[in-house]
Amino acid sequence: MSSGDDADRAVLALVTAGQLDALQELYDRYRVMAYSIAFRITTDASLAEDVVQDAFLGVWRNASRYVEARGSVKTWVLSIVHHRAVDAVRRRRPTAELPEREDIPPAALTLPDVWQEVSSNLDRAEIATALATLSDVQREAIELAYWGGLTQQEIAERTGAPLGTVKSRVRLGLLALRRALGGDEGRAESLAGDAPS
Amino acid sequence: MTCDQARDLAAGYVLGALERSEEAAVRAHLATCDQPHPEFGELGSVVPALLELDESELVEPPTALRDRIMAAAAADLAARGEQMSAAPAAPAAERAITFPDAGDRARRAERREATRASRFDWALRIAAVLAIVAIGAWGLNLQGQLDRARTFDQAVVAVVHAAGQPGAKTVILSPQKGQHGAGIAAVAADGSVVLAMQDLQATTGTQVYTAWVIVGSNAPVSLGDFDVDAGGTRGFTTKPTTAPAGATIAVTLEQNPGNTAPQGPIVSAGVAAAPPGSSG
Repeated sequence: MSSGDDADRAVLALVTAGQLDALQELYDRYRVMAYSIAFRITTDASLAEDVVQDAFLGVWRNASRYVEARGSVKTWVLSIVHHRAVDAVRRRRPTAELPEREDIPPAALTLPDVWQEVSSNLDRAEIATALATLSDVQREAIELAYWGGLTQQEIAERTGAPLGTVKSRVRLGLLALRRALGGDEGRAESLAGDAPS
Repeated sequence: MTCDQARDLAAGYVLGALERSEEAAVRAHLATCDQPHPEFGELGSVVPALLELDESELVEPPTALRDRIMAAAAADLAARGEQMSAAPAAPAAERAITFPDAGDRARRAERREATRASRFDWALRIAAVLAIVAIGAWGLNLQGQLDRARTFDQAVVAVVHAAGQPGAKTVILSPQKGQHGAGIAAVAADGSVVLAMQDLQATTGTQVYTAWVIVGSNAPVSLGDFDVDAGGTRGFTTKPTTAPAGATIAVTLEQNPGNTAPQGPIVSAGVAAAPPGSSG
């Protein structure tokens, strides 16, 4: 963990204790990344603002749910922003299947203890290089899923590929990314299986 | 949902690319399944990397957004305080505080100075303090330790009294990871820090708890020592100090009284916050 992670956890502890100025500090640390992620997904400035507000209120109300073992505070906060942004764009789509806003807490607040980041200090250039190792169809599938807010079924419909193929592209793309980022510890091949790409 | 079905959906799950109903089914399976599912962790481990945007994609949000978020959070805090007064909640999760490095302290001090006139109301701080009184009393009463509750209540009354003085600041002290001891404090008008602590480990022998103030990038300054009996609660008023908004108030467990620099572990700490419009 970096000193930045330590400082983030200290700030989040104060948020948990109900200190409003700690929330403001956390917002100031990540407002640009949060808003940029929300804007990239929604492509709507007003909607992106709503998403970021919704996300930081979620952080405010659920700060005690953060578990250090699941990853950094930064990733936790930005994952909540991402999840809420995807919900927002799906809600805009008339055919989307989506529960009412408050029916379930966002997954980023309830994920099981499985998240371990490949690195807490990834360089953007390394990530770009890693993404370049993916095939075009893998990169497209991940892009549509993560930044387009599409479900795998919707990606299949949009690209004309069978659902099973889309699932394989997403999975193999993530595994390739993991290998390229140095997070592979030998299990990737066994996970990849013989699925078509 | 079977394990095979969950594995089939793992990649879509970590990317958030499932229907929300599918996502809930996967989450429910993982919460109850006794089989390991390492594929979720391995596939999910790269997702944080996707959040790292290129510099050209970064966009500064409107400044009004901060105001909206803080106003909404302040309203939520007020509602929360009312609820806790009626039905106290369970103790909060474990918290971790460490002595900040010089850069962090300087940035924090700057931030507090810049945001002193922020949007939330002083009354909300009082409401939060009163809510914490309720929480403290509730937790202790549950343990059948009314005498300790009374001691703590008296200490909290002293804190609330100090917090009500013009120019006062409040501090919520949270236990460091692996440590016990939480409380509230107020920096009174005369500069003394009035502490109300509970859940502290009893001191033995020459052990003492020492209160410290850290201002900006300065070294910690001792504010005085106090001991704690088996009850674990303690009210304590320090000697006068200079503790502007943004200063860190910390409590360490020292093996001997009179230390001029912290030697023992940080037990509990928090940051002094001033009401809007005060002199800091």
